[in-house]
Amino acid sequence: MYNIFDNMIMGFQVATSWENLLFCFIGVLIGTLIGVLPGIGPTTGIAILIPVTFGMSATTAIITMAGVYYGAMYGGSTTSILINLPGESASVVTMLDGYQMAKKGRPGPALGMAALSSFIAGTFSIIMLTLLAPPLAGYAVSFGPPEYFCLTFMGLTLVSALGGDNPLKAYISSVLGLLISCIGIDAISGVSRFTYDNMNLLDGVGFIGMAIGLFAVAEILENMEAPIKQVFSDAKLGFLSLFPNKQDWKDSFGAIWRGSFLGFFIGILPGSGATLCSFIAYAVEKKLSKHPEKFGTGVIEGVAAPEGANNAAAGGGMVPLLTLGIPSGGATAVMLGALMIHGLRPGPMLFTTNPEFVWGLIASMYIGNVLLVILNMPLIGIWVQLLKVPYKVLMPLILTIAATGIFATDNNIFDMWIMFFFGVVGYLMRKLGFPEAPMVLALVLGRMVEMSLRQSLTISHGSLSIFFTRPISGVIMTVALISLFSPLFPILWRKYKGRRSVA
Amino acid sequence: MKTLSRLSVLFLVVLFVAIGAGNALAAGPYPTKPITMIIHAGAGGGSDIFARTLSAAFDKEKLLPQPIIVENKPGGSGAIAFAYVAGKKKDPYYLLTAVTSFMTTPLMGITPVGLKDFTPIANFAFDEYMLMVNPKSKYKSVKEIVADAKANPKKITVGGTQLGSSDSVCAYLIEKAAGVQFNFIVFNGGGEVNAALLGGHIDIAVSNPGEALELFKAGKVKLLGVFSDKRLPGAPDVPTLKEQGVDVTYQQNRGLVAPADIPADAKKTLEEAFAKYMKTDTFKKYLADNMLSAAWMDGETFGKWLDKENARYAVIVKDMGLIKKK
Repeated sequence: MYNIFDNMIMGFQVATSWENLLFCFIGVLIGTLIGVLPGIGPTTGIAILIPVTFGMSATTAIITMAGVYYGAMYGGSTTSILINLPGESASVVTMLDGYQMAKKGRPGPALGMAALSSFIAGTFSIIMLTLLAPPLAGYAVSFGPPEYFCLTFMGLTLVSALGGDNPLKAYISSVLGLLISCIGIDAISGVSRFTYDNMNLLDGVGFIGMAIGLFAVAEILENMEAPIKQVFSDAKLGFLSLFPNKQDWKDSFGAIWRGSFLGFFIGILPGSGATLCSFIAYAVEKKLSKHPEKFGTGVIEGVAAPEGANNAAAGGGMVPLLTLGIPSGGATAVMLGALMIHGLRPGPMLFTTNPEFVWGLIASMYIGNVLLVILNMPLIGIWVQLLKVPYKVLMPLILTIAATGIFATDNNIFDMWIMFFFGVVGYLMRKLGFPEAPMVLALVLGRMVEMSLRQSLTISHGSLSIFFTRPISGVIMTVALISLFSPLFPILWRKYKGRRSVA
Repeated sequence: MKTLSRLSVLFLVVLFVAIGAGNALAAGPYPTKPITMIIHAGAGGGSDIFARTLSAAFDKEKLLPQPIIVENKPGGSGAIAFAYVAGKKKDPYYLLTAVTSFMTTPLMGITPVGLKDFTPIANFAFDEYMLMVNPKSKYKSVKEIVADAKANPKKITVGGTQLGSSDSVCAYLIEKAAGVQFNFIVFNGGGEVNAALLGGHIDIAVSNPGEALELFKAGKVKLLGVFSDKRLPGAPDVPTLKEQGVDVTYQQNRGLVAPADIPADAKKTLEEAFAKYMKTDTFKKYLADNMLSAAWMDGETFGKWLDKENARYAVIVKDMGLIKKK
């Protein structure tokens, strides 16, 4: 075994060179801004940075890029909470309660909790990375297609947790999302489905465009009905009101840890991504809560759990990248590509051949997380001033920035039309009382569920037993089925008791 | 309010610098403004690394008086980028990365544009492909795989990316040459295929060295055969498929094309600059790092090569059942 203590000292020596410190700061700063900007997520942000990193050493380059990645997880929550506009996809679920908190005059505590939960979860995942990265490499590849299917299927059973008070409407909304997820080229057969010969639909409906449409654009449309008034007129913006109070901490404590744990361990799995982690953390929190009915009305756990999860996922995503050279998602794939341009090829031997690179990066992540909290806490005071802007000014600004961000992601104007289309859809859904969140989750999960189901059944030649005979998938599948049928248990229990008392 | 407008201005500035807006207009010999190289795939992949390495070398060595700017237009197996560049007819300020999908995507009927809409400019290298297994696998050679596949048709699982991609063609070529059938499992990308192989979820994977070299060096995967004509200098102990009795060779090209009907002098300028690029240390290091083979072709040769390969792929794609039925 390697000596972690010595390695960390070496890592901090690398990370605290003035150059690496400076670029760590620049990285997290750009990351925060990219997170705040809607549409542009960490993947695009890092891709834009690639040419800039050419002049740097590989270590400085990865420190900068990683800073952008986890920095974006901090920044993403800002616009989600303040104006119902997701900064990046992993912050979509933060809107559900974060925006309600802002509307109720508590934008400060929501933003503060998002930043502090991010810090705690981020630090937790770096500690796990420091102590356990090489042993966890085996865990990262232990998930095959059947395990992914069970995991994503379990995610779908949590849909009801994302809806409002009408489970039926939540399920209808998620089925619509699943249908939308079928649009595009089918990777397995090469057939294009529901594209109507429109080339822009070949890759399916963009998740972030749809989310921005359903939430932000629909919100604006709804606010336009009445004579435009100040939505946040009663927001308390005094200095002390910006921080979470004692009760907030008490409510969020469990959520942060569960979010950190789920985010890290699901985030390690290649192909999962921070977005999925944030959804699952939120849904689990609601399922475990003593007052699930309050979720969606502005409870602070609903902010703490997903924000913790997406930061922990950013740390978890580093595990397969550093130990196997396998990216866990879009952002880490771009980082891997950038490192290859530098001539450095991450792989299983990275820890032994380039220790200063690995430990320098890990040490820089501790530093970056502290920098982010220092950077973000004062910024909250500035961000909340945004709410003083008259809504009639804010509204067109939101639309412009959202449209620009969406366009810049893939340089494709079609994505902007997707956003406006789903803005109208979202507006109609609101009028009819259908929740938007299940539709968005179904779009994220739909492709994964379909792909892994078909992969599994191809491997097993059509036999469903593959989901039950393998230990990990068997356990997850059982949990998923319990979660799906849990409403039936009390009924069965009553029957059983009735029978016993008779006997 | 002031803070806000300042911030939004900052955002827009960052954005515009980032997407490289701003076209200089000037007269003079080509090129008088930056050339845009469209990458048909996302950031971080093989084509992206190829294009960005090239762009960086042009900047450093001043191979052209104007820079080459890269822009990713991923989607639809390249269809979106192909259509975009095809629409720039006669404009010599656009280049497009062209690999296998440049031929297979039009053949599969995903896009109406095809070879006729482009001017071949140059080919730079060939990607080699290799067959690999988990070190714990019972297979020690390609011969054993073929024998087992004959005894158990459709039982051996082969992981790869979407049908029509290079790795799926590789698997198909073995099936055809050896008269066997595999169970081909499609994944979202090379990284996921490697993860599935390491976890023992699939029996075999087809991969290019760029994605699997480090795993091989660390002993996490075992190479059973390479698809090239001769053994690769980076892995001299691994026999070719031909040596093992499976008469299959496969390479993926890495080339660049421009829109149709660009001026002849512009084409010549580009060809000359790229021929110089082939001689730079950057390119040599790129080849060695990714275990590619240098394969220079000028526009004309590349065009003929594309025609020939296109005919070959037309048969393969049809055989694989990927032609869109109308």
